[in-house]
Amino acid sequence: MRSPNFSLLLLLLSPAFTAALKTGDWKTCATSGFCRRGRALSARAEEAGSSWHSPYSLDPASVSIAPADAAFTASVRSSIHPDAKFGLDVRVHEDGVVRVRMDEVDGLRKHYDEAASWSLIEEPSISHDVQWTVGKKDVRAKFGANEVSVQFSPLKVTLFRDGHEEVVLNGRGLMHMEHFRTKEGTAVPEVAEADDGAQKPLQVNAAAWFEGEEQDAWWEETWSTWTDSKPKGPESLSLDINFPNHGNVYGIPQHATRLSLPATTGPDAEYTEPYRLFNADVFEYLPDSPMSLYGSIPLMHAHSAKSTVAVFNSIGSDTWIDVKYPKKGSTQTHWISESGILDVFLLPGPTPEKVFEQYARLTGAPVLPPAWALAYHQCRWNYVSSDDVRGVQERFDESDIPVDVFWLDIEYAEGHKYFMWDQKTFPDPVEMIQDVEALERKMVVIIDPHLKRDSNFPAYQLASESEVLVKPKSGEGEYEGWCWPGSSSWVDFFNPGAWDYWKSLFQLSPRADGKWSWTESTAKVGIWNDMNEPSIFNGPEISMPRDSIHYGGWEHRDVHNINGMLFTNHTYQAAALRADPPLRPFVLTRSFYAGSQRFGAMWTGDNLGTWEHMAVGLKMVLANGLGGMSFAGSDVGGFFGNPDAEMLVRWYGVGIFNPFFRAHAHIDTKRREPYLLDEPYRSILRDMIRLRYAMLPVWYTAFHEASVTGMPVLRPQYTVFPKDEAGFAIDDQFYVGASGLLVKPVTEKGATEASVYLAEDQVYYNYFTHEAYRGSARGKHVTLPAALHEIPVLIRGGSIVPTRERFRRSSPLMKADPFTLRVALGADGAAQGRLYLDDGETYAHERGELVWRGFSASMDKKGKGRTLRIASEDLASRDPRGAVERGALGAYEARNAFAGAVEPVRVEKLVVLGLGARPTSVRVEGADGGELEWEYVAGVGADGKKEGKAGVLTVKDPAVSVARDWAVVVKM
Amino acid sequence: MVAWLPLLLAPLPVLGALDKTHGVRPDLLARYAPQGSTWKCLDGSKEIAWSAVNDDYCDCPDGSDEPGTSACPNSSFYCRNAGHIGSSILSSRVNDGLCEPECCDGSDEKPGVCPNVCDEVGKEYRKKRDAERKMQKTGSKIRSTYIAYAHKEKTRLEGLIAELEKEVATREAEVARLREIAEHAESLSAADIEHKQKSPLYQSLLTHHTALKSLQREHKKHLEREKALGEVLDSLRTGYNPNYQDMAVLEAVRGWETLAGLPHINDVRKDESEGAGDAAAEGQVQEAEELEEGIWDAAKIEKELDKLLKEDHTSLLLQHDKHIDAPGPSILFDLSSYVPDSIRPEFEAFRDIVVSWLAAFGLAKPVDVSGSADFARQELSDSEHSLKLTENELKEARVDFGDIFDPKGFGPEGEWKKLDGLCLSKDTGDYTYEICLFDEAKQKPNKGGSNFSLGKFTSWDTQQEPGTPAYYHKQRYTLGAKCWNGPQRSVELVLECGIENALLSVAELEKCEYQITGTTPALCTPPTDDDATGKDEL
Repeated sequence: MRSPNFSLLLLLLSPAFTAALKTGDWKTCATSGFCRRGRALSARAEEAGSSWHSPYSLDPASVSIAPADAAFTASVRSSIHPDAKFGLDVRVHEDGVVRVRMDEVDGLRKHYDEAASWSLIEEPSISHDVQWTVGKKDVRAKFGANEVSVQFSPLKVTLFRDGHEEVVLNGRGLMHMEHFRTKEGTAVPEVAEADDGAQKPLQVNAAAWFEGEEQDAWWEETWSTWTDSKPKGPESLSLDINFPNHGNVYGIPQHATRLSLPATTGPDAEYTEPYRLFNADVFEYLPDSPMSLYGSIPLMHAHSAKSTVAVFNSIGSDTWIDVKYPKKGSTQTHWISESGILDVFLLPGPTPEKVFEQYARLTGAPVLPPAWALAYHQCRWNYVSSDDVRGVQERFDESDIPVDVFWLDIEYAEGHKYFMWDQKTFPDPVEMIQDVEALERKMVVIIDPHLKRDSNFPAYQLASESEVLVKPKSGEGEYEGWCWPGSSSWVDFFNPGAWDYWKSLFQLSPRADGKWSWTESTAKVGIWNDMNEPSIFNGPEISMPRDSIHYGGWEHRDVHNINGMLFTNHTYQAAALRADPPLRPFVLTRSFYAGSQRFGAMWTGDNLGTWEHMAVGLKMVLANGLGGMSFAGSDVGGFFGNPDAEMLVRWYGVGIFNPFFRAHAHIDTKRREPYLLDEPYRSILRDMIRLRYAMLPVWYTAFHEASVTGMPVLRPQYTVFPKDEAGFAIDDQFYVGASGLLVKPVTEKGATEASVYLAEDQVYYNYFTHEAYRGSARGKHVTLPAALHEIPVLIRGGSIVPTRERFRRSSPLMKADPFTLRVALGADGAAQGRLYLDDGETYAHERGELVWRGFSASMDKKGKGRTLRIASEDLASRDPRGAVERGALGAYEARNAFAGAVEPVRVEKLVVLGLGARPTSVRVEGADGGELEWEYVAGVGADGKKEGKAGVLTVKDPAVSVARDWAVVVKM
Repeated sequence: MVAWLPLLLAPLPVLGALDKTHGVRPDLLARYAPQGSTWKCLDGSKEIAWSAVNDDYCDCPDGSDEPGTSACPNSSFYCRNAGHIGSSILSSRVNDGLCEPECCDGSDEKPGVCPNVCDEVGKEYRKKRDAERKMQKTGSKIRSTYIAYAHKEKTRLEGLIAELEKEVATREAEVARLREIAEHAESLSAADIEHKQKSPLYQSLLTHHTALKSLQREHKKHLEREKALGEVLDSLRTGYNPNYQDMAVLEAVRGWETLAGLPHINDVRKDESEGAGDAAAEGQVQEAEELEEGIWDAAKIEKELDKLLKEDHTSLLLQHDKHIDAPGPSILFDLSSYVPDSIRPEFEAFRDIVVSWLAAFGLAKPVDVSGSADFARQELSDSEHSLKLTENELKEARVDFGDIFDPKGFGPEGEWKKLDGLCLSKDTGDYTYEICLFDEAKQKPNKGGSNFSLGKFTSWDTQQEPGTPAYYHKQRYTLGAKCWNGPQRSVELVLECGIENALLSVAELEKCEYQITGTTPALCTPPTDDDATGKDEL
């Protein structure tokens, strides 16, 4: 949420106190021993040029191919350390993903090898069809258009597609797994005085050409005021991953930078530091920087007009990544990690859809959230009392502004002992929550991972008793650090013993064993997990010392980036158990790792109320979506600062098109709830928030698709038009799911219009004005009005967009409300759309309690006139495996109870855009009812080249059920 | 579980048609009638079929065709609430599955969803209203005593003003007379003094004086700066939240505590039982500094320096001359000490004349007269001071008089005058908040530590028109002590009618901006007849 690195000096000297990033709080590659070593290695290779070769080679005689599976193992040696042994394991999964794993064998110690186990949803199935062939120089396997080769010497792994190199590991010879050694055995060669007085080294360091002469930060490292004891010595991992035929790389969130990652080395380097993956609470982070932030997903997409591939480098330690574009259409990357084994997944694509599917198969698709979680969240540090919460709710209702969730930040907790309500300000917590829930709203309450070391604090006391707290470097006792409550300790969620302890804390009914649990709560309360990087105010880089000890004796350095995910994972599981049958929990996390998408939402942390942060927040949300974290958003308004009305309005324009839509503000800011604004701003905000509510069916359908296919909710331009090079770097406009909505939020001061890029020869309609724009197959920019009250939103021709246009106080109160369908005819006169509905809160959908409809419009020319048929069909019956996550539904029963419950919900309005001619009749097909009421406003048709106001047919109340098959026939 | 309806490829059955006037406000009922088979939207913008009224589809741009459904946004729904009071709700509340408390007849939802509870609600409402009326009545009685008090105050101030006006006149005459004397005495000696003032000793004295004065000013500036820094650090020490911990802040706090000899604030907070007394006492223990003999300590510097700087150098110069030249003062000049105060000015005036004659004949040195000129000047200045005090008193009295019935002051009826300076407080556990009305608001820590000013009275609710009842429901206290990383503290005091003057709640809604609620009889107006009969029978 924030870390308070205020400078007292600044405070005293400068009345206009402007805080900023304290760069001295963070390491650079040069002040981080292993990164320095990694970059030095790369520099040596660069200097050596073509004479450089990797010391690693595979022993062909050791190749052992599994009899039934597409997997083989082999021994790997390093010419610079002949005594060190390495084992390689390469396998091809059923979906064509190639996993390359290498670890030291019979070493002095073990490298951390469990990172993947926390990310993967299950051990991936290995293909039985793919065959490895051992050749003279390599081992090869072909599958589909792909082929993977493991070259013996030097060791190199290449994934090909149609004969072209897609991904190459160790192609530049930068792979290096520092093997474990003893300090004594590697003492720097003493310089001895020889008899003749000349000095000469006692021995020659044979590894120096590769590892360098010095033992740079091998055994101990001091940075700032902290000393890292490094008992295991050097154990870092360097790996070069090249994409010789891909000119754009994306992903490795999260960084405040562009979607298409700028270079960090080479001629066009925009940054001097590598991208860093090290979960960190960066106070007042910069809006354009490769610095690490709160979460880390070591997944990188590489894209070209020919194909999309990805690598998932499953590692949990501090990792730095250099990106270089040696020439147009080619990318080199260099990954430098502090510890862990080499465990890399090559995702062959070849399309963005396939990459998302392959990644979801590994780490899981984003979980389907409770429907209310897609509505508007109102947060502030802090709503100060239960009466304050009630007052805020009242003000929203007076202003008729919908809101679903009220949040409580850390000040609800007495002494920052989470779970423990401050009796002075929250004397009636359950009544307060019930007052909110009475309007079908929810509350979200913060639970941070630091536990105040106070023997009267049950959560701490129980953790202490069961010895599930992180230990200091001695391995004994409890690690103690400083956070909001003062002296604190941290639960070690790598310890299975912590899991039941944590679950038991959330139990709503008094526990049988008489121990404490959070009975002063309700089953619907959402949980906000903040500070889980972990953020520790007096620790190195505001986090935990790397030599602290976790379960199994692993050091914190090994698991740092995974730590935050485990906290959220177990909070999610604990929260799910509060009701029977269980309710889908809502958990928000700040820190995340590959796999965190299975546990809920994330936000981009403590942003600043500036235009730059508003703009980069959008890019970060897109990048997080590529990494699976689709349920993402930035604090609307900016966490720090007091945005003026214009900025706040624009920020809501961004926020309503963020998957996670929450307004939040720092304790030092003025209140800025939407009802507090003067006119016209207040009405603009109200209308924007209402637009989000109207579009909730679109959002829920997009989240449903994400939960099944792994496709991101917000889709960057290149994922929709992967062959259009002009769109590869576009990251300020996006499509919402498969809905056909194309949005370009305004993030500039004083804007009155916006330029939107259209990549195809298709008609697009302004969502609000129905103005028709024509794209071009060669790409074209069109200009949309974007005054303060306007958001540039287009409907792609060929889309049918379902909305609900009655505004309620909260989204669950809309459940009986009718739908409106916007039928945006494509140039070919056709359109499609989808709508997914379920109860929005339980897991009944997994048993088929759902409605999944496909809408279509098609134009027929029969005889003289033309006929437009708009129809609704049941998708779930046609594709039950596509209806719920992981294809869990064998068959779909159209007459399920949920479908019965929404049977009375009708479509109240059809709005057909791009109808060029006045209809002669509009009827419900097959019904004996007469002509429907309709209204036609003449304008341009979907076909042809004309721009201007589209012809719009509005059909009043066809009275067809949203859960049934029907067709409306428009004759012209 | 909901029973499954048979699947049919057919439009949904039309819901029971709604009464066309469902949800229409009584004053608009007449306008909900068809003209033939059509109907005009209330704003006249569109003509629609009469059947389209209340058909759960929004036809009119102004939303007037759907008074009884939720189809049109931003419109309202009227529930008749027979047996109670009719009420309008927003259309967004209609058919949302919730029974609105404002619609006790349940008409906001489909039949059968919400029970009609108007009987109980009406009963409850009347009970509550009666209690409120009773309170209002009692409160308004108290309020009328406040008004009476204001009138009494008015009379008292009128008298006071008259009295002060008289006194001012007297004093003005006195000042005029003394000025004449002083000027006369000074004109006699001016030339002589001018000459003497050229003496190097005098010039040096002046330089010393300037130097001392400058030093004193600098010293004071430094003291003030140190005090301000101390206050900043004190408020950091007591006000910082150890939970928003930054080690730099902690270091600064500890550094200050060492420097100022204070115990660590966390220890103070811990030992609640020992209270702040010890801490404060400890803080006051200061080592007595060893001083060289003859060197002044801080207190003496302050006292003596002021005295030195107030010294009249011209009279010193003359005394000096006298000391050097004269064998001793002639009785003529010393006589004034023996003259009773009441006739002294007259005596001195007379003496001056005598002396001037003597000087003219060379019999006495006019030098000494300047001592008398100085004395006259002193007399004048004392008298002027008294006049000023009286004038100020008069000014204040006039302002007070004006405030009593000033809408921006104590209200058009003077009902707030009685509460001027009344201190109310509220204990919230950690702090006691005190507001002295029309004066200052304070936060006093219950566990020791210094008080913070939350601001001085600034205004009533400036959002409202002065003189309107709403204007007096809020008071602003602003420009309190500055927060260590925030604005100057301020208070919004929200008041409503109650039979006691009391504070009810305190909330810090934004950092260092407090909202305090309270009651006062000053806001209780007698219940009107309208309230009494109510509209329950509507």
